[in-house]
Amino acid sequence: MKAINSKKFGIVLVFLALASFAFTPAPERITVKGSDTMVILAQKWAEVYMKSNPNSIIQVTGGGSGTGISALINGATDIANSSRKMKPTEKEKLKARYNTLGVEVACAKDGITVYLHPSNKVKELSVKQLGDIFSGKITNWKEVGGADQAIKLYGRENSSGTYVFFQENVVKGDYAPSCQTLPGTAAVVNAVKKDPNAIGYGGAAYAEGIELCKVKKDDKSPAYLATAETIKTGDYPITRYLFMYLRNKPTGEMKKYIDWILSPEGQKLVVETGYFPVK
Amino acid sequence: MYNQKKFKMNKFRFTALMLIFTFALTAKAQEPTTEEKITELKETVNGLLERLATDETDLQKLTKIKVSGYMQAQYQYFDNPAIQPNNYFMLRRARVKFTYEMVDGVKFVLTPEFVPGNLSVKDAYVVLNDRWTKAFSVWAGKFNRPNYEVEYSSSSRELPERSTLIRTLYPNERAIGAKLEFNPLNVPIHFQLAILNGADLMTINNASGTNLNTTENKDFDNYKDIMVRAYYNLPLGNFGGLDFGAHGYFGSLKSNTLKTLSSDYTTIEDVKIGDAVKRNWIGGEFQLFADVLGGMSIKGEYIAGKNASIGYSPVAAAGTTAAIPGVPNFQNNFSGYYVYFIKNLGVKNQFAFRYDYYDPNTDITGKDVTITKYSSPDAITLKSRTSGKSDLATSTFGFALLHYFDDNLRVSLNYEIVQNEKVGTVGALTEDYTKADGTKVVKGLDYSNVLKQNLLTLRIQAKF
Repeated sequence: MKAINSKKFGIVLVFLALASFAFTPAPERITVKGSDTMVILAQKWAEVYMKSNPNSIIQVTGGGSGTGISALINGATDIANSSRKMKPTEKEKLKARYNTLGVEVACAKDGITVYLHPSNKVKELSVKQLGDIFSGKITNWKEVGGADQAIKLYGRENSSGTYVFFQENVVKGDYAPSCQTLPGTAAVVNAVKKDPNAIGYGGAAYAEGIELCKVKKDDKSPAYLATAETIKTGDYPITRYLFMYLRNKPTGEMKKYIDWILSPEGQKLVVETGYFPVK
Repeated sequence: MYNQKKFKMNKFRFTALMLIFTFALTAKAQEPTTEEKITELKETVNGLLERLATDETDLQKLTKIKVSGYMQAQYQYFDNPAIQPNNYFMLRRARVKFTYEMVDGVKFVLTPEFVPGNLSVKDAYVVLNDRWTKAFSVWAGKFNRPNYEVEYSSSSRELPERSTLIRTLYPNERAIGAKLEFNPLNVPIHFQLAILNGADLMTINNASGTNLNTTENKDFDNYKDIMVRAYYNLPLGNFGGLDFGAHGYFGSLKSNTLKTLSSDYTTIEDVKIGDAVKRNWIGGEFQLFADVLGGMSIKGEYIAGKNASIGYSPVAAAGTTAAIPGVPNFQNNFSGYYVYFIKNLGVKNQFAFRYDYYDPNTDITGKDVTITKYSSPDAITLKSRTSGKSDLATSTFGFALLHYFDDNLRVSLNYEIVQNEKVGTVGALTEDYTKADGTKVVKGLDYSNVLKQNLLTLRIQAKF
């Protein structure tokens, strides 16, 4: 093996040293994109934070968890809101482009609630029954103790973290082709409100003017509504964390904002918006 | 008279008013009622909804097909006087990847490459994911060999080409075969086990210089090669993460001659035509990702083992029955490694450095190359195969500055300093070359020096 020329090696070391001292400047304007489930909460955080920090500009948009994470990977947003964990393939993309594993901040808890029309006789379902309904194995309400009516399914688009979480934890397979996908949880709630035979799912914060279905882990377990208490105790079976993902460890204004979100003041807004605090 | 006139005028006005009134009444009677309007509107909406449902079904089918790809155009300037022309523009890669996920767990991938004058298939494989544990997947077709640098996409790689070591061991990166992957959901460990034809795109010449291995879609012999790779993602908290692992290649090529020469150029072994000539190597790899001042990584891999090339048997010289010497199989002990240092400079820029080293023959040093004692002793039955250029090590320092305009567009400026291992004596190993004006320079390249082989590349990449 040939000895490496020491002069050239010196030049290389100088280059490496210079490159090592380069760093990512903290953004002056913070952009937040992602989960539609979290849009209300993220907007509330931004609104209240900007009031007490008038020099800060925080822009919040939705689009779905997948869209937010893609935007984080391609540099189009500083924070990706996600109602599911980052997938290994997304982590690999982040590694390839930014040489980091990303920073995951659990900022709230949520119970995925199941919406029913108030006139529906069915008031509770097990996780398995829900899976069978949304995968198309159960197609009539009479199969789960309801009226002899065809079940109409409403769900989220596949860029939604709620869609992915519900698929992985409840449906455990493909959604039924008849499941109508809608852009946003509010649209799912509206669709169920208008249709006595409908069933839908989404974040707890959107459940207004609609019947919530009690959910049980299995046939033998008691059924629970998603409340702060049942989510905290883990009795409600479809609970999840809501995350904020960043490319790098937060610094400057970004760190200040994240710290505030996790502070009692920020977590108070979580409860006010209809979600549940992380601590 | 006046009254008569007045009466006529009033009669005229009355008739006109009656006509207008009748017309208005008729007109009103022809307009649809509100109920009719609502019904019509409902029918229109229902029709639209039906059309929307049909369109949505069609659209859902289309979402199962994903199309992505990238194109790399570049300008290169070569220091090497033997490369003429010494600068040119070229389209390095132009690939479109079609992925069709028919149902959850079944994926078809086809990646044609379009470069001027050539259309080839880079990837063509099917992946079956197990739907129960979601941890196993079976691949079949033509896909990347299981190795870190091979599997790291050219569209993401910071340096223009893979390291010399990897390009030598895994030409064109892909191979035809089958692969089993195990990626458990809750443990960050990954296993890959592949069985491959193994001779993909290798040139195996006979005495006439004809390549015997031209059928790209079939194997050259009955021997199948095995590749294994395992790696683990170790999280390092707020600092970042360390991925580390190992891979091995265990394969054979069919002997096409009666002798196998070792890379010390003294050991010669009798073999039969059809015998297995072993190619085995193992390697270790690591990738350290650190969230230090904006993100950086250090990646490296070391591989060592025995590679082989296939010779050909003695054949009768043209017009006679006298045998002329053939060429023996050759088994060379080799080693090599590469180390990358990559640093993000803000969100849009990146700096990358790579040092890579490849020694194709670890049995002899550069000083020993061309010395007689290291030449094949069996020149009677076989063509004497002497040590030479192919035994010299190569080291490369590669630098790259990259700018990302956005997720789709990237420009990179790269410079590579290539250095060959030197032979011991001036004039012992030389090559002629031809200058741009057609002048032949006899013995112009002398391997007792470090030859000029540096390379500048300016590349633009568009990705979608």
